[in-house]
Parts: sequence; structure tokens; C-alpha cells
Amino acid sequence: MRAALEAAGLGVRYRRAWALRDCSLSVPAGRVAALVGPNGAGKTTLMHAAVGLLRPALGSVRVRGEAAFVAQDKPLYDGFTVAETLSFGRRTNSRWDGTSAADRLGRLGVPLGRKVGGLSGGQRAQVAITLALARRPDLLILDEPLANLDPLARHDVMRTVMAEVAERELTVLLSSHVVADLEETCDWLVVLNGGRLQVSGDIEDLLGEHLVLTGPADLIDEPPGGAPGEPPRGAPGEPPGGAWDRGRGLAGGVAGGPVVVSASRTGRQVSLLARGEPPRDPRWQVRRPGLDELVMGHLRGPGPAALPRLTGVNG
Amino acid sequence: MIWVTWRQHRAQILVTGGFLALLGLLLLGSAVEAGVYVAGHAPPGCPGPAVACGEVEVGLAYRYEAVYTVFGWMPLVLPALIGAFWGAPLLGREYERGTHRLAWTQSVPVWRWLAVKLALLGGAVVAGGLLLSAMVSLWRPVFRAGVDSTFGNIGVFNMVGVAPAAWWLYAFALGTLAGALFRRTLPAMALVVAGVAATMFTLLQVSDHYAEPVRAELSGTVLLDDPDARLVRGAWVEPSGREVAEPPAGSCPRRADAGRSSRNAEAWQECLFAKGYRYAVYYHPPARFWRFQWTEAGILVLASGALGGLAVRRTLRRPG
Repeated sequence: MRAALEAAGLGVRYRRAWALRDCSLSVPAGRVAALVGPNGAGKTTLMHAAVGLLRPALGSVRVRGEAAFVAQDKPLYDGFTVAETLSFGRRTNSRWDGTSAADRLGRLGVPLGRKVGGLSGGQRAQVAITLALARRPDLLILDEPLANLDPLARHDVMRTVMAEVAERELTVLLSSHVVADLEETCDWLVVLNGGRLQVSGDIEDLLGEHLVLTGPADLIDEPPGGAPGEPPRGAPGEPPGGAWDRGRGLAGGVAGGPVVVSASRTGRQVSLLARGEPPRDPRWQVRRPGLDELVMGHLRGPGPAALPRLTGVNG
Repeated sequence: MIWVTWRQHRAQILVTGGFLALLGLLLLGSAVEAGVYVAGHAPPGCPGPAVACGEVEVGLAYRYEAVYTVFGWMPLVLPALIGAFWGAPLLGREYERGTHRLAWTQSVPVWRWLAVKLALLGGAVVAGGLLLSAMVSLWRPVFRAGVDSTFGNIGVFNMVGVAPAAWWLYAFALGTLAGALFRRTLPAMALVVAGVAATMFTLLQVSDHYAEPVRAELSGTVLLDDPDARLVRGAWVEPSGREVAEPPAGSCPRRADAGRSSRNAEAWQECLFAKGYRYAVYYHPPARFWRFQWTEAGILVLASGALGGLAVRRTLRRPG
């Protein structure tokens, strides 16, 4: 499995605050990877570090081959016409496929003579993405490409990207905080929260590994006060609502049973996102999560420092 | 990148070029008209002591002043405009619009983007300054040949020789750095205007020290008979030969002057001269024109290099 993007121990700091910490991940070539997380999670920082707009304070991030980047809000020179924008691309890039770029914009009905500042939001996004694709990149990085677009324009933008993916080997990394946008198109998932990597992997595999368990609240252990060497539970900054039992086995849990990623309690009912084999206790209702539940579960889940320990706790 | 630079900055280039062309036309017209006037009014033998020659001189001076008022403000205002409209937006506008994330993620590396833009625009600014200097230098002798040189008046001095080019380059570099620091155009423009004014004031003070002043002792007058010299300072010399800033109190009766009259001061000076005092003036003679031009240009070019280097360093460190 060849990686198109690889980060190892990546840390990026703005003055004193860490925007990204201890981030190690890889996106295999040919994948369409979704980078999700709430605002301020470090998505943009990761992308900027990957394309060289930021220098990591720690670790490294590597791109195999050429990367093309479309920044948030699709920056373009508003005073340029669309044709001049393509000319800009031709003159600032060594690899350039101007014919197919002009063809694509022609098919989409974007007038080449129009000033970029006078385009609709959807047309602007198409021009920005066309400019990136004309570089024939190996990796296309899109920061919130669908933000501020109407549903039709969202669909058109994703179709443009997916058409290119179908045509040749292109890896795509695109960020969004709306998971629904990505469900149909992406096959790789990277979840960031608070500058830390929460989860990274093939979406099918991740969905297959996770379970949603629903059952009476007395089925789960009260926290016993932390195993030796573990940080105290309920660390400050954790979201409210049953953050106490993460990483614990279930009541009567056997080694190899599911590992709780996150839990939410509503009255006497508890709902868990868990990883591993389903529990044997028949009082649990078990089903597979949707992508949305998977992402939300991990965002509500533990600090990433606790993540690697989960496997340790449960063998 | 050359096309990109032209496309992004053509407005400034065209406006500045248009302004210089207009100014050139004005100066050419004024010089041609003055030539016609001299040909029609000056009898043979002018310049000379004849009365008619004096009339022509006054006529020329009148014409010179009329045009000079049009561009007397240029030594200060033009560098400020160059800094505000060529320098400040170079990085400030990119950051402001977020387009730096477009420009600096193409395959052209950031350092080359900066190098091409700074070299082309800096070169254009220097060329513009030299063109202004050449036009003023060609125009001025039509009126002022034999009257004064361009050394004594600091305003004129900054419009001839290499001074305009150095000032424009300095303002451009200052604007570029301000844009890199503020990441916005408008504050960068304001800083350029203030910075150019402050630099001009500072260099005016410093320029006295570009060379060791020449000393001359005058008797009977405190005025140096050379309108082109730059006075540095004056002092009284006692009959013993000792130089003092002020003659001791009571050496001559002294009264304050009222209004614009200088009668009392002149009487006091006459009394001092009669008692054997002399007046020493320290000044720079006009022959030092090029020395001063190159010294000032050297300071400004070095400063431009330092400011430009800081802007580049800042940009390469935090391109995002």
C-alpha cells in the first residue's frame, strides 16, 4: 500500500498554542479521504503543513508526487478573467494541462471571458478546482470545498472531483465539518479533534469494526478509579455526559469483548459506540453504526492519549 | 512569472508611466515656451549686464516658479505614493484576500515568486526614478543656467541625480515590509507615508555630516556669497582668534527686532565687526553634489536591501 500522504509525529504550533500535536497518519494512494472534525480541530493546519504553507514544529509530513491545493474560500484573483486565471496556472506550474481545463469549464458553462469576481459561488469553486486539476496532481487537497455552496453546486463540485478520480490515479484529501457531504464519495476517514488525531482508516473497515450498543444503564461498570499509569478520568475539558467509562470493558466483560469509544446516557438507557466483538449479554441491542455515528462517537470520545491504551487494557 | 507580475501590477505601472509622461510633456512644453520667449526677447549679448537681459532673467524666473510650484511637493509625495501603491499591496493584498495561499501553492517556489516580483517591480521603480531625474535635469538648465545649481535646495537636490531612484526604491521596500508585517494593505500604506516622511526628516538632519564642512571667515557680513552652498552652522570669532557661539554679553549693544525688520541685528553685527570680530561659516560647497548624491543613495539602497531582506525572511518563515 503506497501512501500518497504521510505524517509522522507532526506538531504545528501557533505562537504558544499547539494547533496540531503528535499526528501520525497516512492516506494510501488512490483513496478519497475525508478529513473531518469540528472547527478548530486542526484540519486546515494539517493541510497547510502538507502543502508547505506552514512549517511543522515537530515531526514531518510528506506528499508523494505533486500536490495541488484549493484553500478555504477558494482564493482566486477577482480581477482576473477566467481565461487569465488559467493563464496564471500555466505560467506558475511546470505540469499543465490547459486544454482539458478549458474543456471542463466550457462543459460546465463557465464563461472564460468573465471576471472571477463576477462568478457565482459554484462557478468559482469549479474554476478553483479546475485550476488545481490542470496541474495533473497526484494528490488533490481541498479545504472545505463544499462550504457556502448550494446543494446543486455541491453535487456538481463533487462530480467534477470524482470524474477525475475515475479517470486516473488521483488521491483526494478533502475536509468538511458536515459528514453527510462525504458519505457517498469518500472511502477513507481521518478524524481530528482538538489538534489530535482520533481515528484514521478505511471507512468500510471502520464501520465493520464498530458497534452501536444500546441497553440498560446498569450494564456498564462504574469507573474503578483508573488503572496504574493511566491518567485520572474526567480530565478537565472533557465534554459532559458520561465521559467517565471510556476504554473500560463492559459489565461481565471478557477479554476480547468490545472496547467503549464513547458513551451517552439518557435516563436509564445507555448508548455506546464500541469497537471489537459484540458482547454476549443478550440485554444489549447491537447494530452497525453509520458514518455519522462513527464520527460523532469518536469526536465525543477520549483524549487521543488514551486511545492507544484501549487495546492494552483489553488485550 | 513575468506575465503574472505584469498582470497583477499593471495598474500601478501604467498610472506611474502615465504620470511621468504627463510630467514630461509639461516640462517639455515649459522648456520650449521658455526657449521661444528668450529667442524673442533677449537681445544679442545676453546673458550680460544689459537692462534687457535683466528683464529676460526675471521673465524666466517667473516661468520657472510657475512650474516649480506644480512639482515642488514631489520629492516627498512621490516616494510615499510609490511605497503605498507599489510596495504595500505587493504582500499586503495577497494576505488580505487570502490569495497568497493560491500563489504560493503552485509549483513556482515562494522564494522565486518573491525574487521575480521584487526584481521586476524594484527595477521598474528605479527606472521611473531615474526617468524623473533625467527629465528634471534636462528641463532645469533652460531656466537656471548660471543662476543656481541643484545642490543648495534640498527639494531640488532630491529630484536630480540618483536621489529619486534611491528614494523610490526605499519607499517600495518599506511598503513591501509593511505589507508583510501587517498582512493588510491600508495600515501598510499609512506606515509607508509616515515612514517616508520620518526618513526624509532624519536624512535632512544627517546630511550635514556626509562630509567635513568647509570653514570660511567673513568680515563685514554674516551671509555667504554662494546661493548654492549648504550652510551647516555659523559662529563668531573673537579678535583673539577664539571661536565662540555668542560674543560675551555687553560687547556690543543689542536689541530685539520688531516684525520683519532686521535693522537692530544688523547694527549689532556691524558693531561686532568694527571691534575686530569675524564670522565663521561652516558649509558644504556645491562641488560636493555627487558625493552627497551617492552618500544618500548608498544609505537608502542599503536600507532598502535590509527592509526587503526582512520582508523576504518574514514571508518565507510564515508563508501561510
